[in-house]
Amino acid sequence: MLSRLTLLVLLAWFAAPQGGASEPVTVAAAVSLTQVLEEIAAAYAAAGGGPVRFNLGGSNVLARQILNGAPADVFISADEAQMAVVEKAGAVLAGSRVDLVENQLAIVATPDRVDFVRQEFGRAAAGIRRLAIGDPAAVPAGVYARQYLERRGLWSAYEPRIVPTTNVRAALAAVETGSVDAAIVYLTDLAAARTAVLAFAVPAKDGPRIVYPGAVLSAARNQTEARRFLTFLRGPVAAAIFTRYKFAPLAS
Amino acid sequence: MDVWQITSFTLLTALAATALMVPPGLALAWLLARRRFRGRVLVETFVSLPLVMPPVATGLILLLLFSPRGPVGGVLARVGIDVVFTWRAVVLAMTVMGLPLFVRTVRAGFEQVDTRYEAIAGTLGASPIRVFFSITLPLAFPALAAGAVLGFARAIGEFGATIMVAGSIPGVTRTLPVAIYTFTEIGRDRDAAMLLAVSAGIAFAALWLSNYLTSRAGLRT
Repeated sequence: MLSRLTLLVLLAWFAAPQGGASEPVTVAAAVSLTQVLEEIAAAYAAAGGGPVRFNLGGSNVLARQILNGAPADVFISADEAQMAVVEKAGAVLAGSRVDLVENQLAIVATPDRVDFVRQEFGRAAAGIRRLAIGDPAAVPAGVYARQYLERRGLWSAYEPRIVPTTNVRAALAAVETGSVDAAIVYLTDLAAARTAVLAFAVPAKDGPRIVYPGAVLSAARNQTEARRFLTFLRGPVAAAIFTRYKFAPLAS
Repeated sequence: MDVWQITSFTLLTALAATALMVPPGLALAWLLARRRFRGRVLVETFVSLPLVMPPVATGLILLLLFSPRGPVGGVLARVGIDVVFTWRAVVLAMTVMGLPLFVRTVRAGFEQVDTRYEAIAGTLGASPIRVFFSITLPLAFPALAAGAVLGFARAIGEFGATIMVAGSIPGVTRTLPVAIYTFTEIGRDRDAAMLLAVSAGIAFAALWLSNYLTSRAGLRT
């Protein structure tokens, strides 16, 4: 009798429809947005928005998770290619896709190596024995890094020295543990760096155009809240926070 | 086709790791099977640690120890030996993760060898070393073989520690499991599926062989 009651209670708990406003919006976002999105989410809550929960990682990994059914309401990718992957599979809510911010590449190293890297990077000096970038096969930061190196004619020199990482923050971590001599990350990642410092930033005109698109997903359980959050990301409060972290907001 | 490069690299590094785990593994197994000593429980615990700890945690410890800024890695770097993100890190991770399995299996084998034979050999004038190599080891040989196969299979399947300390560098540190993971991440699904089939085949063969050898050891008593 008691066990049947317990079973009923458990069933009711699991089967009960989740309330709209109290259920957090799940945002799958590129890992380079970690700190800035935390702050924006806090501002969103302060402005009366609901709770937001983040699933952060390499955009290619997130895209695959979404296609494999990972629950998410919003997807923010670090490049258009991974957003296209999700769009092509029909997982994006039509008309909800917007370009959010732009970014720049940066070459980083630890303080004791940074002068050497700054001077010798352009000559692909042998002293830069290992260079960490996101996996150039699919991780946006790695794809951008490869495009940049190709544009400068340095790809063939650096290709055998590349340490491909699962996302851009892993490349940053590799340089901070001293396992590699330098890394190509986003300029915005320096805010999250603890020991790595900037060797040099890649000016927008010298590097690939880095755009972060965001969209509501068609399988979103919380479409209204998801749209609200995405709209907030394009607003002035979010724009000010993005700018402070050195992202370039695109929204009007 | 780099599926073959990945497979042969994995088999070769696993072979090297298995060879590396035999000397310390034999010593530890013998010590734990034959000797009571202070700190024995500590040794047992440390040997079993990689079995029980999450492999990525073991990998993190290895990374901290062997990175160029770490205690061991720093010394090696000064004599020009790179460990992390090279094939050496792959072999290191495989050895560390496979050793506990090898020790457990061989220890059980040693414990099954009747100590009376060893005692008799002693009374006939054999030194302890000679007793080990001419009596104990041959009698425990099926367990040794089974342990080696198990250690080899574990080495081939090693992922968590490997990806932490060696990364996934194409043609340099991409083992079978690491490649499956990376290929899945970057969308090379067909290649991942092919490697999946290869690794399943290897694992099946290795386990079958190990079970066969262990049962042969069992039959001998």
